[in-house]
Amino acid sequence: MGSANLSAWFPEWASTFAPGVDMVFYDLYFVGLIVLILTVGLAVTFMFAFRRRSGDPEQVPAGGLNKCLLGAWMLGTIALGGFAFMAGLGEFVDSTVPPYDSYAIDITTREGAWDFAYPGGYVADTLRVPTGKPVLLALTSEDISRQLAIPAMRVQQAVLPGRTTETWFEPITPGTFPIYSGTFSSVRYDSLPVAMIALSEPDFASWLAAASDIFAGRTMAEVGEFLYVAQGCKACHSLDGSKLVGPSFKNLYGHEAVSTDGRTRKVDAGYVKESVLSPNAFVVEGFQGVMPTFDGKLDDRKIEAIVAYLESLSDHGEAGPQEDK
Amino acid sequence: MDNTSHSAVDALRDSYLGGPGGVMGWFRSTDHKRVALMYLAWTAAAFVMAMILAMLPLMMALGGGDFERRMLTQVITYQRLIQVMGWMVPVLPGVLGFFLLPLQLGARNMALPVLSRLSLHFHVIGLLLLLASQIICPIGTGWTMDSRLAMLEPGAFEVLLVGLFFMAMSWMLTGINFVVTVHHGRRQEMGFFDMPLTVWGMYVYGYLLIFSGAVFAAVALFMTASRITTTGLFGWEADPMVWRSYFWFSIRPVAYFALIPGVGILSDLISGISRRTSPGYRLLVGSMIALAGLAVASSGVALIGRGLDPGSSLVFSFFSLLVLIPAALIGFTWLSTLYRGSITLSPAAFFALGFLLHAGIAVGMGMLLASPSLGSYLGTSLFASAQLDYILWGGVMAALLAGLHFWWPKMVGRNFVAGVANLGAVLYIVGLNLALVPRVIMGTQGVPEDAIGLVSGFLAQAQVSGLGWLIVYSGLGVTAGNLLASIWSGDAAEVNPWGAVTLEWTVPSPPPEGNFDG
Repeated sequence: MGSANLSAWFPEWASTFAPGVDMVFYDLYFVGLIVLILTVGLAVTFMFAFRRRSGDPEQVPAGGLNKCLLGAWMLGTIALGGFAFMAGLGEFVDSTVPPYDSYAIDITTREGAWDFAYPGGYVADTLRVPTGKPVLLALTSEDISRQLAIPAMRVQQAVLPGRTTETWFEPITPGTFPIYSGTFSSVRYDSLPVAMIALSEPDFASWLAAASDIFAGRTMAEVGEFLYVAQGCKACHSLDGSKLVGPSFKNLYGHEAVSTDGRTRKVDAGYVKESVLSPNAFVVEGFQGVMPTFDGKLDDRKIEAIVAYLESLSDHGEAGPQEDK
Repeated sequence: MDNTSHSAVDALRDSYLGGPGGVMGWFRSTDHKRVALMYLAWTAAAFVMAMILAMLPLMMALGGGDFERRMLTQVITYQRLIQVMGWMVPVLPGVLGFFLLPLQLGARNMALPVLSRLSLHFHVIGLLLLLASQIICPIGTGWTMDSRLAMLEPGAFEVLLVGLFFMAMSWMLTGINFVVTVHHGRRQEMGFFDMPLTVWGMYVYGYLLIFSGAVFAAVALFMTASRITTTGLFGWEADPMVWRSYFWFSIRPVAYFALIPGVGILSDLISGISRRTSPGYRLLVGSMIALAGLAVASSGVALIGRGLDPGSSLVFSFFSLLVLIPAALIGFTWLSTLYRGSITLSPAAFFALGFLLHAGIAVGMGMLLASPSLGSYLGTSLFASAQLDYILWGGVMAALLAGLHFWWPKMVGRNFVAGVANLGAVLYIVGLNLALVPRVIMGTQGVPEDAIGLVSGFLAQAQVSGLGWLIVYSGLGVTAGNLLASIWSGDAAEVNPWGAVTLEWTVPSPPPEGNFDG
């Protein structure tokens, strides 16, 4: 076993943790293997060397324990246990405290989906990380408990509902590394993100810039639809005319709106922009002023896209939201 | 020849086996030896059932078919549940504990004979309910039954939980029976430190059975309530760590430390085959007590990597590493017993070697899992699952088979064929390591313990492992067949083949119903 290729035991070293974790394993593994071979080997040897021979008495004297040998054996055991505890302690403490300048990716999972949210607000369904800097993964689940393991980084962590767990690592080489995730369940199939892609820092930056550009390849109305989902407008504003926490977006644009204090206003680009940035300036009758401001989250261009999306949902007249009420 | 078989028939008629026969005769019996034999039958049946279930993933590894994921999860769930709850925990106390405790203490029966029968009946009820839930509508949550999943799974989960409740109650009653029998059933002249080590192992493990049985019975009821109402301690709103903590601190001591009675059995057995008393009797007793304490103190180590906070992880790492000390003492004492002994190389000795090897590997893997940085990487991988297999298939199974081959002539009054038993032992030991080492390596490669089906890139490991399991199955088949065949075709056994000094060797083989009456 000693001459066996060590790489049979672990995947490649692709993070700064890997050498430390592997070395502790190999140290303990080789010492443990020697002790095991010694113990079992001695037992086998004794069984053959001290076989019962004709003429042996019915019972042989009990004998005693060799005190010196016992002392050495126990000291060795305590030293091995102490080493097992201390050797990985520094690594372990490091692994629980992510550095301040970590690149943080928020990971949320639910049935059938893993969302990877990057610091700029871009949400992807694959995990890409930059090499050469610490990456912090903040994990949470919206339904059941799962595990997320990235063996090449030597990390694995529980993904739990109602909690945020953290793990961090620093990738050292670009490449594609397997991820194991999911849960032991017969009904809730997970779409597994099967790989993590590590990119060099310039590659990562250009990938993120390109991926985050939501305007590329989309009409303004399509961008608006994307934002409607991504920014969570969906939760309070329906598309089919039904009344949720806020007014439906169906047939809203171009119609008259009445506020709680009796003012009337036509829904146009200026109105939409005001509603997005300072929602409580004009609260529509029949609703409460609970909408948060999106000031700082949506720039003018994105608001234009939302306007275009609302336009596409409206018939500009006839049956307006007022009659719906 | 005629004469021997005639006297063998006489011996059988005068023994506990010759009492009231028929289904009712056995069903109503409170004799500890009959309870032990019935435990042997039921645990063996449960284990065979688990082996059959394990055939499905095995066939898949060997290229025999591609099964639906849903079916695989259910099969793996029930296989582990039957193995751990229905076999691993009750098998050593149920079979060897009930059989040997009164005999080694010089008593006519257990102190609470009706409780012996009740333990068995609760165990059987639990096992049947577990199987009923599998027939009605199986669950596929894995044997740890995570609370959120448990709320969502369709399936007869309530039936399973009531079954587990009965099994846990059975553990508790067995533990109470052992403790009371040791305190009140001993011969007057026998002090605590005159008791055979098997009795010590069962006595110490008895406390763990009481602890885990009582707590897990309550936990199972709370889970049933939460399952029905989706609220409560383990309900939908509860933190999933609550269930994980309760589950592991109640199950881990009694399951992962099911090796404690094995240590007692092996200590007596090694003394027996070496024809001398152990030189480190008090060290062995102290080690078993220390192991029982550490079983509880280290139970949280199972939660490392499953959401336990870093500070608590270090505490449980520390207690888990302390297990090395009693383990090393036990190994040293056994080697000292063998050294300059007068050793009979019997099948029991080969199974004892198997125990030493497998328990040694399990302790070594436990050391790796308890080392802080490794534990958080390996703790939820196949490595951890393979460690449980080394304890279950390796340690508890080897202790059971070693004990059975040592005391079988006393139990049924017949000798088995030694050569066939040796073959079974070799097949079992070689096969098991062939089956488990690839899984250990897959674990360090990062494959998680709940990987279902074939993991891409590990086909070769899965196939070697599958071949290993086939060898294990054939080894166990040979062993069981040999033991069973001895009942009909074996030679009559001697009273004391080992020249041993413990009391069970002073009574006829098989013993009469009142043990020491004749």
